[in-house]
Amino acid sequence: MPVSSQLLKPVKRSFIVFTFIVALTLALIPWGPMVRAFLPDFVALTLLYWCMNQPRHVGVGWAFWLAMLLDIADGNVFGQHGLAYCATSWFVLGRHRQLGMFPLWQQALYVAPLLLANQLIMLLVRMATGSGFPGWSYFVGTLSGALLWPLLSQLLQAPQRVDKPAEIQS
Amino acid sequence: MQATTQPVFFKQGPKPFSLLLIYASLSLTLLVVDVRWQILQPVRETVSVALYPLQWLATAPISAAQQVGDYFVSQTALQRENRKLQDDKLLASSELMRLQALRQENTQLRALLSTRAAHQGKGTLTEVLYNDRDPFTAKLVVDRGESSGVRLGQVVIDPQGVVGQVTRLQPLTAEVTLISNKGHTVPVQVVRNGVRAVLYGLGPENPLEVHWMPLNADIRSDDVLVTSGIDGTYPPGLPVARVKRVDRNAGSAFARISCEPAADIDKHRFLLILDERRDQPARPVEQAAKPARRGAHKEPA
Repeated sequence: MPVSSQLLKPVKRSFIVFTFIVALTLALIPWGPMVRAFLPDFVALTLLYWCMNQPRHVGVGWAFWLAMLLDIADGNVFGQHGLAYCATSWFVLGRHRQLGMFPLWQQALYVAPLLLANQLIMLLVRMATGSGFPGWSYFVGTLSGALLWPLLSQLLQAPQRVDKPAEIQS
Repeated sequence: MQATTQPVFFKQGPKPFSLLLIYASLSLTLLVVDVRWQILQPVRETVSVALYPLQWLATAPISAAQQVGDYFVSQTALQRENRKLQDDKLLASSELMRLQALRQENTQLRALLSTRAAHQGKGTLTEVLYNDRDPFTAKLVVDRGESSGVRLGQVVIDPQGVVGQVTRLQPLTAEVTLISNKGHTVPVQVVRNGVRAVLYGLGPENPLEVHWMPLNADIRSDDVLVTSGIDGTYPPGLPVARVKRVDRNAGSAFARISCEPAADIDKHRFLLILDERRDQPARPVEQAAKPARRGAHKEPA
């Protein structure tokens, strides 16, 4: 079901902030190395969602500052997440009208390469600054993120839905 | 240029691409600065303080769960350890008890060894196998029998005194009748003045008694009775009993003299079978008499 076919309530800015906080918290949970390999990048997913659906609220600036927070939290080099998130969010922002018309599974197909691009940019940055290759399991998160996209979209859209669609139609 | 002509309503701020350029260059700058000069550590520290609540939020449930898990794990571990320690303690205390028993046994064995030395090394050390099953008799079964050279009538002693007498032989075991067995008699002598008497056993759990002593017999309580050796079975001089009480009742012809055995007759596990054969003169009278009687018998026939 295309997202744009529904009539939605305006989103609250506080809800956007809340989702980012939740995403950051999920990213900060000390999962074991096995689980972490399969987990998607929650912050990137949330960011891409808001860029796609609320481009006037969330943009490249958000991407940059969130990435800064992640860099600091993870103790990575500054700018690792920043470059990746800025690039992908810009890409989504440019096509948000088109993407918003796609059904969710198609959006997921679109998001998957973006997540992969995120990982690749971060990988390039890390390898440029002297880190080793972390193994192919590093990219598994991309797949799980794409699989998670429809669910996440439904979840993040839930507060915006109108309670009684019948009233709208009448 | 276009932005200037746009109405304010459509104004969306700077274009995404320009923002991308700005932020991407900022990211790259930060990256280079961070990697090359490492001067962003204070910034990192400051912001990480701000991130701390989030980190706490992320880790708190997990660490709490871990702590709860730790609590239960340590609870079970403690219980297991406690149980094991108690088992060990039980084991150790049983070992300790066995050690004490062994120590006692050892002292007793040493005492018996010295007793045997006092008897010129003659004697067989023996271990009590069991008390006789008959509750009416005071008998023991010991682990030396005919094959060890035990003979009927040998005296059994412990470090304190006479215990009894070998009364029945089996190849590997022997039955010892204790001096407290009913009807068992030991010829004794009072050490103090040499008065001779006969000590009767009255059955297990009962005291020994000296019978057939006149009321004025010179026996007092705490007199020590030793074997007199008159019968030829008991070698002389072995302590047998100590007089406990002397009742001189004018109504009866004899004094009632209660004694308690000198030996711990029902306590020890190791006893000494004395091997002191005393050559008794043969009984020539009967042997001489029998042929004579037979001859006398034949004469009328």
